[in-house]
Amino acid sequence: MVKTEGSFAVEDMKNVQINIGAVVKEEDEWDQPMGPFPKPQIATLRDWDFKIMNRYRIFYSPADDTCTLCTYGPCDLTGNKRGACGIDQEGACGKIVLIACLMGCCAHFAHGIHLYHWVLDRFGDMKFDMGDEILVDSPIYQTVMGKKPKTLKDFGEGISYIEENVANLLAATHTGQEGHYTDFESKALHTGMLDDLGMEISDLLQIVAYDMPRGDKNAPLVEIGMGTLDQNKAVLIAYGHNLAAGAESMIFIENNNLWDKVDIGGVCCTAHDLTRITEAGNESILPQNLGPKAKVAGAIGWWRKMVRANVMDTVMIDEQCVWCDTVKDCQERSIPVIATTDKIMMGLRDRTNDPVDAIVDDLVNFRVPGVVVLDPVKAGEVGVKTAVAVKPKRQAIKEKMVLTQEEFNKWASTCTQCMQCSFVCPPHIPLGKVIEEAAKGNLEPFSATYEVCVGCGRCEQACSRDMPILKMYEFANRQYIKDQKFVMRAGRGPATDTEIRAVGMPIVMGTIPGVIALVGCSNYPNGTKESYDIAKEFVDRGYIVVTSGCMAMDMSLYRDADGKTIWEQYPGGFDGRNICNVGSCVSNAHIIGAAIKVSTIFAHRNHRANWDDIADYILSKVGACGIAWGAYSQKAASIATGVNRAGVPVVVQSHSVMYRRAFLGRADKPEDWQVIDARDGSKVTVEPAPEHMLYVAETKEEAMLEMAKLCIRPSDNSIGRMIKLTHYCDISLKYFGKLPDDWHIYVRHASELPIAWKDQMMKELEEKRGWQIDWKAKKIVSGPLRPADVSFDPTNIERKIRVRK
Amino acid sequence: MKMAVDTTKNPIPFEMAQIPGPEMAKTYATKVMGAIIKKSKRPLLVVGAELFEDPVMFDKVIEMAKAKNMPIAATAHSVKGFVDRGYLENVHQIGLHPLTNYLRFADWKGLDGQGQYDAVIFMGIFYKFANAMFATLKNFNRDIKRISLDRYYHVNADMTFGNLAFDPDGYHEAIDEVIAALKK
Repeated sequence: MVKTEGSFAVEDMKNVQINIGAVVKEEDEWDQPMGPFPKPQIATLRDWDFKIMNRYRIFYSPADDTCTLCTYGPCDLTGNKRGACGIDQEGACGKIVLIACLMGCCAHFAHGIHLYHWVLDRFGDMKFDMGDEILVDSPIYQTVMGKKPKTLKDFGEGISYIEENVANLLAATHTGQEGHYTDFESKALHTGMLDDLGMEISDLLQIVAYDMPRGDKNAPLVEIGMGTLDQNKAVLIAYGHNLAAGAESMIFIENNNLWDKVDIGGVCCTAHDLTRITEAGNESILPQNLGPKAKVAGAIGWWRKMVRANVMDTVMIDEQCVWCDTVKDCQERSIPVIATTDKIMMGLRDRTNDPVDAIVDDLVNFRVPGVVVLDPVKAGEVGVKTAVAVKPKRQAIKEKMVLTQEEFNKWASTCTQCMQCSFVCPPHIPLGKVIEEAAKGNLEPFSATYEVCVGCGRCEQACSRDMPILKMYEFANRQYIKDQKFVMRAGRGPATDTEIRAVGMPIVMGTIPGVIALVGCSNYPNGTKESYDIAKEFVDRGYIVVTSGCMAMDMSLYRDADGKTIWEQYPGGFDGRNICNVGSCVSNAHIIGAAIKVSTIFAHRNHRANWDDIADYILSKVGACGIAWGAYSQKAASIATGVNRAGVPVVVQSHSVMYRRAFLGRADKPEDWQVIDARDGSKVTVEPAPEHMLYVAETKEEAMLEMAKLCIRPSDNSIGRMIKLTHYCDISLKYFGKLPDDWHIYVRHASELPIAWKDQMMKELEEKRGWQIDWKAKKIVSGPLRPADVSFDPTNIERKIRVRK
Repeated sequence: MKMAVDTTKNPIPFEMAQIPGPEMAKTYATKVMGAIIKKSKRPLLVVGAELFEDPVMFDKVIEMAKAKNMPIAATAHSVKGFVDRGYLENVHQIGLHPLTNYLRFADWKGLDGQGQYDAVIFMGIFYKFANAMFATLKNFNRDIKRISLDRYYHVNADMTFGNLAFDPDGYHEAIDEVIAALKK
């Protein structure tokens, strides 16, 4: 028997709601017994965390040597000294990491809280149904909570669980509470898991409420790029991560037949979610034919570029990743701003209770730069009406805001080559040289570095001549902006159970060389193109490539020789040589969900309230690796940490050292690589696979090599290991010009040697490594760390031992 | 007589806001840098992929390694530059992140199994990444001397040049002077 809580409103009785403390009902059948860890608290999975951290040593690169969090400070912690409160440098780093993860986790799940209340208010409670293809419909929720939600309202229990844990975790960061770095990191890992859960709740709520694709590999191709925004119409931009107000704009437009007057473009993850409203019209509460009419204006890295390119008439901001100078940038260009959630109000006046026409009148006549409207329905209407009414007024302003050739030349010639701009540029663009060339009439450097520029604007602040460098970028690239017209496959949501059944064994055996998840933001070290290059490298090699968020958007901006975007080159399934876009930031939960589903659908592991068992399975057997090549935010830190707690390694770009912490293995310590053979409890020293858990790469070439290596798992069969080693070695030869130094560590049997270099490798094993080779039989006689054993069942958890020796 | 390049001026963190705390790197003249490296017993030359942006630096790195008989840790995909030049003797392909992880432990036996290093010399590495790895060693293994021969003022090193990022000729000259000091 289970208890559920609930409430209901009485029809026609205003302001009357009856709350039910507890309803006792028959528990639905679930073929799995309750696992050991339902709703784990902070210390519940600590043993698992320490298993991870004992193998993957916590590595800190402090961003500063002092602590200034309390009034005893600043304390000098250089050299791991202790501050007045007793915390050392490691502890201080751990505390900051935990706080960052909490910020990220809260950003996602507070989004979920808003959606939870909003969809219940707007649509009422709904059956939680992911369709016939997805029966394991909430894998993270089930693994953490030990329950299956039946209606959207049931997710409330998950939200309450996260809230309680987050309060305790945040309390632990106060001075005089937690002090040891290992426990800060265990708490960070717990936070990451909560984030996984919060993201899953958020996305499942919106998938059901807004009829988004439920694992549809043929989700439609939607338009992306600044050039797709129809400048003959009023352009309304919805910027952030919460679709509520943007969706209401779409509904208002649809209900009032205004699509010939208004174009809606999304920026950042709101773009994903608005374009996922594609299936409305069946049994949906939403108007028929609503989607997919919105467009993806661009990822977060394009925001300042597009505001300067003047491609919009009105902006609605919601939450997360909205730059703090949005109102300033928009005000300078007479673009009205409507803030639609209480997380971001930007100093604007709350007009939620004012009449729509009064708000629109103030915005259209520029009496105020923006307003707060917290009712999504009203905000949507205000957004559309403002965009339509302000467009004619903005035409003259728009023309004034764009540089003329003369103005561009004048600015370029004022540069003194002081290079202060280059000192502050995150990707180190030699801006002085770029401007020097422009002054000579050569705009090529401005074009070549356009996609490398992350649009932060620090250069403009450093310039003693107040040069509008970003505006100059827009001028130099005005034709590219017009031509930026591509397509992206709309977010499809989770992998289906059928897809998991088909790929489960090849993933675990290694014959599909790995699952590569490209997630995160737009702070690339060398431009957006790298997101395309990395994705293409792995799809071409037959990996399952999954992507989401800004990285999915940015990789859409390139075409092959046949003029096809990556979405037109490959199918959208969860399969080898496919690339699937799961959706927005919160859809990242489906990537972990897929790994859980491999263990439960393919391997029949009980996942119910059984996090460490499932994570152990993933760590030992599911060859998956995440990459956040443009990671910038605390959300990315939290996502990576949650992914790590689930046993999946992550590679990040070089700016990510600002996160301060990594998890790195020591291949030279055999004792770190001991696992248990679950068949008999014997201890086996395995090859370092995966070697690291969180790894910073300096270049995309290094990242790709490391990702191929991090897909190797102790459970690979010999064919699978051979395939994985082939890709590892081939990437090394392609980009490094030589085989990697450590390929031999992963060889257990001659059949695992890549066919292309087999003889050369056997010779090297004999001559350089001292292995014994039987050349006649082409066999390895001795040398490997352990023999290949197809029935080897590696685990790190004692309770998984079936029969003790 | 030709004046040596002044590598002690312009000690401003290359990313200006990178002010870590009370202990900041000192800038040194090329001759002093050369002498210190020469004096070290187990130096490791750590190079990164920025060398591809100024390929002549690969040749200078090789010259430097030969002059002191130093091993090279080729991070990122920089080993390709050495492969292209046919110089692979004592060149080890390793990521900067795992390398720094090894460097922070006193019990590491080094890339050649002969023991931990007493000095690391960074060149051609993306600034922010190199800075963070210097920060790791600064805080967690102070037995290793942190030397930057890069074109940036590296605030978390022990010894560094001032900024020469926008003076490529001056930087080349400075490196040549260090090589000359090593050969003395």
